[in-house]
Amino acid sequence: MALTGRAALIAALGSVPVGIWDPGWTGILAVNAPLAAACACDFALAAPVRRLRLTRSGDTSARLGDTADVTLTVTNPSGRPLRARLRDAWPPSSWQAGTETASSRHTLTVPAGERRRVTTRLRPTRRGDRHADRVTIRSYGPLGLFTRQGTHRVPWTVRVLPPFTSRKHLPSKLSRLRELDGRTSVLTRGEGTEFDSLREYVPGDDTRSIDWRATARQSTVAVRTWRPERDRHILLVLDTGRTSAGRVGDAPRLDASMDAALLLAALASRAGDRVDLLAYDRRVRALLQGRTAGDVLPTLVNAMANLEPELVETDARGLAATTLRSAPRRSLIVLFTTLDAAPIEEGLLPVLPQLTQRHTVLVASVADPHVARMARARGHTDAVYEAAAAAQAQSERRRTADQLRRHGVTVVDATPDELPPTLADAYLELKAAGRL
Amino acid sequence: MTTEATLPTTAASPTARQVWTRTRGIALALVLLLVGAVAIAAVRSDARHGELDPRSADPYGSRAVAELLADRGVSTRVVTTLDEARAAAGPDTTLLVAVPDLLTERQQTGLHSATTGSGGRTVLLAPGGGAVERLAPGVTADPALSLDSTLAPACDLPAARRAGNADTGGIRYSTHLEADACYPSRRLATLLRIPDPAAEASPGGLPGDTVVLGARDILFNNHLDEHGNASLALQLLGSRDHLVWYLPSLSDVPDPDDERGFFDLIPSGWLWGTLQLFIAAALAALWRARRLGPLVPEKLPVAIRASETVEGRARLYRKANARDRAAAALRSATRTRLAPLTGVPVSQAHTPESLLPALSAHLHGTHGDGQSLHALLFGPPPGDDAALIALADQLDALEREVRRP
Repeated sequence: MALTGRAALIAALGSVPVGIWDPGWTGILAVNAPLAAACACDFALAAPVRRLRLTRSGDTSARLGDTADVTLTVTNPSGRPLRARLRDAWPPSSWQAGTETASSRHTLTVPAGERRRVTTRLRPTRRGDRHADRVTIRSYGPLGLFTRQGTHRVPWTVRVLPPFTSRKHLPSKLSRLRELDGRTSVLTRGEGTEFDSLREYVPGDDTRSIDWRATARQSTVAVRTWRPERDRHILLVLDTGRTSAGRVGDAPRLDASMDAALLLAALASRAGDRVDLLAYDRRVRALLQGRTAGDVLPTLVNAMANLEPELVETDARGLAATTLRSAPRRSLIVLFTTLDAAPIEEGLLPVLPQLTQRHTVLVASVADPHVARMARARGHTDAVYEAAAAAQAQSERRRTADQLRRHGVTVVDATPDELPPTLADAYLELKAAGRL
Repeated sequence: MTTEATLPTTAASPTARQVWTRTRGIALALVLLLVGAVAIAAVRSDARHGELDPRSADPYGSRAVAELLADRGVSTRVVTTLDEARAAAGPDTTLLVAVPDLLTERQQTGLHSATTGSGGRTVLLAPGGGAVERLAPGVTADPALSLDSTLAPACDLPAARRAGNADTGGIRYSTHLEADACYPSRRLATLLRIPDPAAEASPGGLPGDTVVLGARDILFNNHLDEHGNASLALQLLGSRDHLVWYLPSLSDVPDPDDERGFFDLIPSGWLWGTLQLFIAAALAALWRARRLGPLVPEKLPVAIRASETVEGRARLYRKANARDRAAAALRSATRTRLAPLTGVPVSQAHTPESLLPALSAHLHGTHGDGQSLHALLFGPPPGDDAALIALADQLDALEREVRRP
């Protein structure tokens, strides 16, 4: 139960008759006793909150940045009309800051025995699952002086998926992939490429591609065409340890890694490769294997939705062991981690030979554009010291990357905006070179 | 009603029965606590009911002395207001002021003016420093109390001589007036009888006087039978036919003409209207205090900037004035960028012998001689911060020069 502002206002206006006509206890009683009686009537006549029936429907997932509409159906089985304020409570990150109050509160009227729908529009600001909290309903009496208040628990979950902003790069990368497809033998010639078909020689083709046996059988010169390998295995390994928690721009490194991983997965599944996912810090956070090309992207997005950086040091030995277990066949292992010197030198380098022995390894790292900005800072003392520190950090990253390259690892180090297309290019190059 | 039957209830707020089930233990504990407190208070009560009241038979009452006085033909009348006490003052009346300290200054002054010259006797029981100065001017109370409660008379006052030892030890008084000083404790008297200077003019009967007693013990029922208490009390209080026993009380409000506060001056309508406004404010507070459901908790992600270590290193350089390291880092970065532009392998970028000739050749000698290039790229660390800033700018200029097609 709760009072309303109207009751307080009437009590305040009551001070005029008390002061002018009847200063004394009788006056006070004459004003407040009817007010209390009216409040009691209001309370008795307000529709009961407990007997309301609530159900939910609506969106169960939304991309980060999009909106999700969740509908609440309120059924009023009592014989009294319900005039109520309703608060559909969700965690604070379900809305943009400052709009929580406006978005979660609704005013609704449900006549006796009928039902009404209210829609809460969520605009989440972070990835992950959002669970609905309780629904609080304040039912007003006919005079608007007194209310009944109660809560209901109507569970609902909205999964907020990674935004996949890098999908804008997908058309251009797909067209590059089609170029690799065996129509131009010159471009795709490589030791690992697969024989596709024979076609007529046109000037400009590599003479080494001429198939003399086929030429002998027909009257024109035939050349072999090649197409990129298919049905290769790609294992995306997300390092969710402490180094993935650092914020680059406005989002953690992990989010940038996910964006790049999604673009690579989309591209690879179109290219006919199989994509698996492993997220690991000290234990397996997510493992997806054996998905068909059709549903690999939705399941990846779903699995990534709830991944959060953990503030623990990544167990590189366990990471390597799990990776080897998850990749029984020769695969391209794309490791999303950082190029910081200490974790790589102490963690990854000792176990890297196990991985490179059977697999092709690609390390993708998110560089910080702020460090690059610092490296260009000039003009005053602080700026120059910042530039020196940034230059030092960059040279250390380069040294780490060189160490990895000496183990035969392909290294991609780029800013969050650049990482997805750069990683896709690196993948396409490996594919063109037949190194998958 | 069908919907109600088919849909499961989702209500989460407790029912009245659940609220009762949860709170009855606490309510029971509170009731027990309250009952226990009342019981203990009733049993251990040692409040002094009716202290110094001539109608009270309690240990600290004074009914015994009133009865003894009545046997000797002295009528005792209890008054509780100042007006009655003032009206009662007269030559055949003894006025006993039971607790002088309870009176306000104005009341004390008024009482003194009423008793002066009335020809009666005024007995003051243990008045404090302020009270005694107003009720018996010329007498001062000593801040140190008497050590013993039972004292010897040691004076010529007949009443005291007849009574002998008595429990007058309490507050000690001194005076410069002509007075009977009895029951001294460390040279200061605990009983003073001061003759009224104006009373000599009054015709006939006994002259008026004021008696100041240092302790109230001689009037208590439980001390009356000890030493000469009863004798002293009867002689002090029984010198006149009437005894007026003034017990100050709460109803003895000061004269309203004297102390009219702010609230007496404003119309009562304003007061009661304001009270109603307070009620309205309380209701408004209740209205605002009731929130529409509790806050929703949420686990927050960690927010660490990835560049924090680099910024920390920059601040360390600055704090330690590590110009040598800063200059080395800047030069090394520039050399690494210049080497590919001039056709030198990156692995040899940091050896002057391979980088400098290639650089000079690339610049066609437009950028100073080899000496200045060597100083710029491989020279000693700058001496101060200004030189470091200049070094950074020169390195930038060199790089722009090399990059220019």
